[in-house]
Formats: sequence, C-alpha cells, structure tokens
Amino acid sequence: MNLEERIIRTIQGALEKRPEITLESHLREDLKVDSLDLLMILSGLEDEFSITIEEDDFLDVITVNDIAVKMRARGI
Amino acid sequence: MELREFYKRFSLDESLAVGTGHNPYYLRIDSGLDEKIQVNGHEMIDLASNNYLGLATDSRVKQAAIEAVQKYGVSLCGTPIATGYLDLYQRLEEKLASFVGLEEAIILPSCYQANNGLFSSIAGPQDLIIVDRYAHSSLIQGIKAAGSKIRPFLHNNLEHLEGILQRSRGYRQVFVVTESVFSTEGSLAPFKEIVQLCETYRALPIIDDSHGIGVLGKSGRGILEEQRIEGYQGIYTASLGKALANSGGMISGKKGLIDYLKYYCPHLVYSTALTPSVLAGTEAVLSIIQSEFGVIKQRLVTYQQAIYESLIEGGFTLAASEAPINSIQSGSKESTFILAKKLYEQGILCTAFIEPSVPVGDGRVRLIAGANLRQETVAEVAEIIKRIGRS
Ligand SMILES: Cc1ncc(COP(=O)(O)O)c(C=O)c1O
Repeated sequence: MNLEERIIRTIQGALEKRPEITLESHLREDLKVDSLDLLMILSGLEDEFSITIEEDDFLDVITVNDIAVKMRARGI
Repeated sequence: MELREFYKRFSLDESLAVGTGHNPYYLRIDSGLDEKIQVNGHEMIDLASNNYLGLATDSRVKQAAIEAVQKYGVSLCGTPIATGYLDLYQRLEEKLASFVGLEEAIILPSCYQANNGLFSSIAGPQDLIIVDRYAHSSLIQGIKAAGSKIRPFLHNNLEHLEGILQRSRGYRQVFVVTESVFSTEGSLAPFKEIVQLCETYRALPIIDDSHGIGVLGKSGRGILEEQRIEGYQGIYTASLGKALANSGGMISGKKGLIDYLKYYCPHLVYSTALTPSVLAGTEAVLSIIQSEFGVIKQRLVTYQQAIYESLIEGGFTLAASEAPINSIQSGSKESTFILAKKLYEQGILCTAFIEPSVPVGDGRVRLIAGANLRQETVAEVAEIIKRIGRS
C-alpha cells in the first residue's frame, strides 16, 4: 500500500460515517470534517506512521492530498 | 474604520431561518414549565426542556425555594470560598455526593462551568485526554483549555478506545472522558466497560452524567447506579438544571481531589455561589426523588414509549435511544428547521439540533416528554405527530 492509500484508509477509519474518499476530496466540503474529526484523523495518522503531529501544523490542509504533501515533507 | 471591520465579522447569517420561515432558537417563553407553556403568546406543549421528572414547577420545590429566599434573601453575594458557603450549600454538597455514591462534591454555577474548569485544574501538557467524539461542548472546551494532548475516540466505540489506550505511553496521566447519556440521541455510553478499560490501562475515567442524574438507575442516582459500577475511582460531573430541575453543576469524586479543587479550581473559587433558592430547590428535588422515583420514572417511560410509537407510525426515522428521549433523524439543517416548524405550528415545542451540535447534515429533532405532563396531553402529542408524519 502506498502513502496515499494509507492516508485514505486512516481517514476512513477516523470518521463516524464512511464517505468515499479520494486525494482530491476536500476535508471540509466533501468529507464534512470538523475540528474534532481533524483531531481524530491526526491521531490516526500518528498511529499509522508512528509519528507525533502538532495540530497547528495541519490547520491549513484543505484536501486529502495536502496531507500527503505534508507527510512526504516529513520524509515519510 | 478598523472598529467597523471588527464588528462586521460578527454579522449573523439568518438565511436558514428566513428560508424556512422559522427560527427555533431564543423563542420567548412567557410562563413556567406548566402543562401548557406560553411561547411568544401561543399555548404550547413543552417537549423541549430537560424537565425530565417534571419537578420544575412542583409545589413542594417551589415552597422550599420560597422559604430559602425568606430566610436568606436572594443571594449571598459572594463566591463559595467567601460568603457564599451557606449551610444550605454545604448540606447540598453532602447530599449530592451521597446521592451519586461518591465521597465528596462541589457545586458550581453550572455544569458548563464545572466541565470548563475541571480539566485545567487537574491536567496539563504532560497528560493525554481521550474523549468520545460526540462529547458535549463544555467538555471539549474544558479539555482544550488544559493544553493536554487530545485524542477523540469514535462514539461509544470500545475497540477504538482500547486501541488508543494501548498506544498511549509516556504520559503523566491518561484520562478517558465521556457522557452517560448523549443528549442529542439518547444513546448510553458503555461506561462500565470504559471503567474496566481504564483499570486495565491505569487511566482515569471522567463521566458527565448531566442527562443521567435523576433519570437512570433504579432509584434515579444516575449512571453509576444504572450500570452497577461500584467503588468508582474516577471523577463525576452533572448538571443540576435538568432532571434535578434547578441550576448548577457538580463535580464529585475522591475527597482529596474535591478538597483540592475547592482551592484550585478558579471556576469555583472566583464565581458567585449558587443562590439560596436554587440550593433549597435542589435539595427538595432530591428528597422527592428519594421517595417517589419509581412512580415518576414509570410515567416518563410510558410517555416516551407512546411518543416513540406515534413517531414510528408517522414514518419518522429515529436514533436508537436508551434514555427517555426520542430523537428524530431530520437530515439537513433545512429539513431540521422545517420539521421543528411543523411541530411548532401544531403546538409542540421541540429541540432542533444542527451543526455544530451534531455532525454536518445529520440534524436531530429531540422530544422529551416530562413526567409532569398529563396522559391526555401526551395522547394529543401522539396524534399531532402521526398527522404530521402522514402529511
Ligand atoms: C452533557 C452536558 N453537559 C453539560 C451541560 C451543561 O450543563 P449546565 O446547563 O448546567 O451548564 C449540558 C447541558 O446542556 C449537557 O447536556
């Protein structure tokens, strides 16, 4: 499984409703992610990739791909 | 100029109320919670308040409040640490703690304030707070204020919670926070199992029993009695403004912790104490619960069931409720407002929940029929609901 697939699977597991997710999905508009959902997603990513994430670093993400970009920038 | 810019940020978007022709919020009530209440000049049936046991207008409770006003006046004009610590206040602390079966309690002006103040008094950046994703705003705000690491878990999902607990090492203390009854749905937390998980992973459970106290358990003592949780080692909070029909919020638990909070919880120390009428009113409610809970609860359950059946017959989709709450899944915020409007026009006051109180697009219309209502009134409600469902 590549990075993007792992991210999508993590987001899926972090949301109460299981929406269709692609790299282009907008977290807010398409996936209806609110601030607690975002925390759930970040926790899920911490577990999936065994890293520590500061919420503040992820406040500007808009799409799923933005998360992938940030993760790659961290060398994952 | 800059000031104008500042104030411009706060313009309210009223398009939803305008578009649906109804605003279910801030409706002016011109009466007490009687059989019929007066709303904006209309006579209506109250299925909106949290007056579960119907004791808000009970004559004995009113009498106790009146006597307290006569004896002490309307306020002690001081915080509990100063002149607010009335004999009534101390007695109510003891009675509340013993009612829920814990060592000691403190009473704050509201449970919102209790939940807001608790976490920053007991947790900090070295700690982890794991919280149910659907927890009440007061808990979330309180948790955020503590500056701890926060990890939400999927609603009532023990497997997800355990996974997080397993992976959470290196913190000074791990807390697990949830509510007994999730009030938008009526769902109940598997709190006994959560307490067991906490024991296994040495975490500290914190429960907000606002919609459980006075409602759950065989004698109304709340979630701990309901789920037969004995020797509870965690922290307990609850509102006194729902089934207990007054106002205020309690924090209860181990003596040492409560004594500490009496000096170190600023939300308690620096806020004017509850007034004599409220203290006496709450005490009177506790004593009614102790003598009449069985009968009152039976009415509450019967009413909920009657309304449940009418909703099903009317074709509504309901959330799975385990409390005396019926919650209609009303979809988008527009359809939530429209349903609230239909009920309103037929003389029923309900509670409409839209985001951020519930997830986006997953609105709820909640109906709570208090035990003070008469059987005929509930039958009238059931007919109206069926009619609206068919239309
Ligand atoms: C679960 C929960 N906690 C806390 C509160 C706040 O209680 P209070 O009204 O006493 O501030 C409420 C009430 O809205 C609630 O539903």
